[in-house]
Amino acid sequence: MFWLKAQRENKMHSLHRKIAGHLLALLATVLFGGLLSATLVRLAPGFDADERVLDPHLNAASTHALEGARHRDDNILYFYFSYLIRAGHGDLGNSSALGQPVRALLRERLPLTVRLLGIGLGLSWLLASMLALSAAWLRLSIYDAMTTIVSGGLLCLPAAVLALLSVLWNLPGSIAIALIVFPHTYRYAHNLLVKIYSRPHILAARARGLSEVRILFRHVVPVVMPQMFALAGVSVSMAIGAAIPVEALCGLPGIGALAWQAALARDLPLLVNITILVTLVTLLANSSADVIGSMLRGQEA
Amino acid sequence: MKHRNGNFITLAALRDAFAVAIVCAGIMTGLATAQGGQLRFCLHNEPKTFNPLQVDDDAAASIRYLTGGVLIRLNRQTQQLEPELAESWKVSEDGREISFRLRSGIAFSDGTPFTTEDVAYTVQQLMDPALHSPTGDSFRSANGKVETKVVSPSQISILFPAEVAGLDRLFDQVAILSQNSPKKEMAVLGPFMVADYKPGASVLLQRNPNYWKRDEQGRRLPYLDSILLNIQPNRDVEMLQFKRGELDLINTLDSEYFDKLASASPQLVHDAGPSLDSEQLWFNEVAKAPIPVYKRDWFRSANFRRAISEAINREDLSRIVYHGHAQPAMGPFSPANKFWFDAALKPPAYSPDKALQALAADGFRLENGTLKDRAGNAVEFSIITNAGNKARERMAVLIQDDLQKIGIHVNVVTLDFPSLIERMTQSFDYEAIILGLTNVDLDPNEEMNVWLSSAANHQWNPQQKTPETPWEAEIDRLMRAQASSGDANKRKAAFDRVQEIVVDQQPFIFLINKNALSAVSTRVHGAAPVILSPQTFWNAERLTVSGN
Repeated sequence: MFWLKAQRENKMHSLHRKIAGHLLALLATVLFGGLLSATLVRLAPGFDADERVLDPHLNAASTHALEGARHRDDNILYFYFSYLIRAGHGDLGNSSALGQPVRALLRERLPLTVRLLGIGLGLSWLLASMLALSAAWLRLSIYDAMTTIVSGGLLCLPAAVLALLSVLWNLPGSIAIALIVFPHTYRYAHNLLVKIYSRPHILAARARGLSEVRILFRHVVPVVMPQMFALAGVSVSMAIGAAIPVEALCGLPGIGALAWQAALARDLPLLVNITILVTLVTLLANSSADVIGSMLRGQEA
Repeated sequence: MKHRNGNFITLAALRDAFAVAIVCAGIMTGLATAQGGQLRFCLHNEPKTFNPLQVDDDAAASIRYLTGGVLIRLNRQTQQLEPELAESWKVSEDGREISFRLRSGIAFSDGTPFTTEDVAYTVQQLMDPALHSPTGDSFRSANGKVETKVVSPSQISILFPAEVAGLDRLFDQVAILSQNSPKKEMAVLGPFMVADYKPGASVLLQRNPNYWKRDEQGRRLPYLDSILLNIQPNRDVEMLQFKRGELDLINTLDSEYFDKLASASPQLVHDAGPSLDSEQLWFNEVAKAPIPVYKRDWFRSANFRRAISEAINREDLSRIVYHGHAQPAMGPFSPANKFWFDAALKPPAYSPDKALQALAADGFRLENGTLKDRAGNAVEFSIITNAGNKARERMAVLIQDDLQKIGIHVNVVTLDFPSLIERMTQSFDYEAIILGLTNVDLDPNEEMNVWLSSAANHQWNPQQKTPETPWEAEIDRLMRAQASSGDANKRKAAFDRVQEIVVDQQPFIFLINKNALSAVSTRVHGAAPVILSPQTFWNAERLTVSGN
């Protein structure tokens, strides 16, 4: 009894250590990611240039003022640390290209991207799970070949092409996100389920006449859940990556389109904030998937 | 009987004709008075501001045009100034002072009365040196304070520290702000007002209920209920939306889209002829530029630049790149600028032979198909332009091909816009550039920052302490002379000479003037696309939209 209690406490300790480790890693990665992004933008050709200086109406004083504003962020370490201090007080700075507070820009654009990613990921997971499960159940080589061709074809298409097709066919951007993420999740889920369904105890359960639903929920789901959660974490990063071309090409005013605009305009404050936000979301998704996976594996053990 | 019958027929015919006339008149009147409806089109970038004095981007300029009330308006069709909020105006002989007599009984969109104090307030805000706006800088011909004097409740005069050439015309860009309205810059005097703004998505403009203008029949303008401006940077999406009927007009169309649309629905597209915009090539003549000295010597030779100009087949550029929707350019202004264009100018004739003769005068010679200079250096240079601009990329390739015919090897490099600007304005690390000049104004004074040798936008060799060549010194003198003269004919003579010098010296090798292409849905009535911006909705207050 005492041994069981000690073992449970050990597990909890280990879980807490894991969560603390994840949080520390998350903080360090976010801070480093922000600095890296700021450095890359600063070193990018054209950082110092402002298109507005080409306006022949502007006089010399205005041109100098524009150039001066650009040079304020020349010292990247100074920029980054002063940014962190201001961010600590809730001020994320002003976008140099759009002339608006970054905080307002993110707040206005975030809901659309969250909706786009949510629906896109949901659709991709629904489609991938249904097809993978039916492939594992049916075990028909022709069905396998067909789904492989579809997912392989989608895998070969660049994200931008899928985005353009969705524009052409007047489909919502979330469909493009779903089709971009689907082949990745489908291949993994398919391989995993086929492998599980060929395990001896599943074969024995089927031979003894247990219903497919019972087999699925009693013997398959508990085994695949930790790995599917890990995949879910990865698919969030994939969807975020896909949101940039999809939003930019479909003309959707979300964070992805904002990131694209910011990159083209070398908008340092906006890019640093978007990088930090995306890093944070990606790491949170991955860490959550990892922690939940560990908990499920622990329960299973 | 016959007679009676004939009378009967005549009467019946008269009755029918009368009925038809009533119906037709009804339809015509219906069309003429059709009010309401929503006009929908795209802005290609996010408006950075709704403050009309701070406008420095196209989207904000479009909103200012539709919402701002101005004292004087440049009629985009006739290119003549017309009174708006000012009933009349007068510019003093020395060009320093302008006096306005204002219309009475006008109110801002929120009901705040429009007064001379609002004009004074707007001018003071506009001339604040800290504003750094293109609109304000256009008025700044010298340092010093701008004084406003309210002469009477309907009269105001504005005194500038020095003469401002084309002073009255500049007020076309100055939307009057309210000094007292709690809504600040959102209280407007134009035909529409901003009703809703969804960042990144759309701007909704609604009819200004207090707009002062009426049409010839005494009906209140504007006819439209609202204008929905979709923020859509992607031109492909814009085109698709227009084809689906989700948009009513495309203000500027490129030639490729124009032809695609014209082949399917010719009634939707409009080619208003050559616009004010030009595309040009120039060489780097900056002394400190990090390029080999012998190349800089080529670029600084007028003979070399003339030869390059003569070796470029502009007709081909127009025909192949712009599908015929462009004209070979002659000089700084296109023929579309009716007053200021120098009609005596002719586009350089395409002649590779003449180009080689001009080069021979500078010691260049052809050796085994390669042009070499006196020192034996093969003539080779790079042309950079902005990536993603298909027309410029294609022009660069055609120029590469043209110059190969006279033994010059050209490398075409495309860069994203910020990188290109950095090379052009800061590092000067380039040999030749193809870019365009967008002219939104007719007056040459607006191009002072291009033609003065000391200016930052004197692209081929900017910010010279003193003019490095006699012809640049002459241009400086002529530009200053035209800017300080109130006599339009004298100004014209001075600027004609500037145009002649530019054509002779070819610091900018002007390539083509694009035509003003647009698309307007058949649902829109009253549209008459013109070459001046905003091409399709310059008369927005008189447009009507059927079917919604």
